[in-house]
Amino acid sequence: MGHGLRRKIINIIGENKFTSFTYLKKELKVSTGTIYHHLDTLSHLIEQRDDKKYYLTELGGHAYNSLKDNITTIITPDFSKKEFSSPILKGLMRLTPKKYINYESNQMIYTIIISITIALIGAIFCGLNGLFPFFLFFGQSELEFIEPILQVILAIIFIGNIFFFFLINEGICRIIYKKKENTLKFLIAFPIILFPIDIYLVLHFILFSTGSLNLPAVRILDNVLVILFQVLSLWLLTYNLSVNKKLKIENSLIISLLIHYGGFSIILLLSI
Amino acid sequence: MNIKKYLDFRLLGLTGSILLIISQFLSWFSNQSLIYIYVVTTSVAIEDSFLYLFPLISGIICLVGTGLIVYKIDYRINSVIINFVGLGFFLIFIFKIVTEEFIYLPTAQIGFYFSIIGSILIFFDILNILMIKES
Repeated sequence: MGHGLRRKIINIIGENKFTSFTYLKKELKVSTGTIYHHLDTLSHLIEQRDDKKYYLTELGGHAYNSLKDNITTIITPDFSKKEFSSPILKGLMRLTPKKYINYESNQMIYTIIISITIALIGAIFCGLNGLFPFFLFFGQSELEFIEPILQVILAIIFIGNIFFFFLINEGICRIIYKKKENTLKFLIAFPIILFPIDIYLVLHFILFSTGSLNLPAVRILDNVLVILFQVLSLWLLTYNLSVNKKLKIENSLIISLLIHYGGFSIILLLSI
Repeated sequence: MNIKKYLDFRLLGLTGSILLIISQFLSWFSNQSLIYIYVVTTSVAIEDSFLYLFPLISGIICLVGTGLIVYKIDYRINSVIINFVGLGFFLIFIFKIVTEEFIYLPTAQIGFYFSIIGSILIFFDILNILMIKES
């Protein structure tokens, strides 16, 4: 990145999303050998795909953003660490809707639509299941039949829970880590972290309505599912905090951990 | 005295996981261990007997998670994720026990306390490994 020509190459690909060798040669006006030499040097930032065109890698994208912001070092949200090549984190990263959580400003509308949809689906199924939500936990109603009015109240509580959950996260970021930026972006992408919880609520409703939850084995499966989906939601929260509040991944995990176990303690006390 | 010089705080997680595993075999209520309750409830097949194995499952998963960080500090994010899953099993179990057996809690025996202490140690271990400064 120290060489002017390399910065130019990154900028050309960044602005056009991809480029061909011919276009690069035309723009740079240097010899073929020189271009190949610099492309080789930038191999971790640029990749050539099957269509023979050159694209930026994920790290290359961060390099382009850093160049745009006139920053001399590449600013990455920690996810380029070697540890992220491990199977667990690779899998989690694959399940992360990066495009919608770390969205570009021209794609904000899609993120808003997705967030509202997730919040509404969660609210509907939370009401239908008769579950009382608190952060990522749910208290089960003891009633055999849940009246429609109670279902509506639970659905509203689910929406309120999202805002309360967001406020707690935002508050901790501001108070402990002094991170005040990107509040709106963080809020817009926030309901996406509840996507795994939505899947759990739908599955729980199917099991509940078919009477399968009366079977001990299915109840155990339901418990295991809630654990796995909660962990996935916590991961999405961590990712959201990292990319939108610009926190280190470790600090994002500390926030997720404190809020999750704090939430558990509160719902445990409420259940008693 | 610099305690850190003599004690590796990563051992908190290992100790916590072992306490969780041991608690499975110690008495919880009325001199009965969870493994005994599991065997009894499985034989009569009237309850979610498998739930009584959750502390053991939780302990084993956390042992893998904390073992990973003791083996190599670079795997701390992986370790935290594994511990999240492990503690999740314990939380589900303790939620059921506390809400359904609340009146018996004052008479709870050593197994219960071992498991609570174990989970708290794992919690502090996760916090500790996340706060370790990168070299």
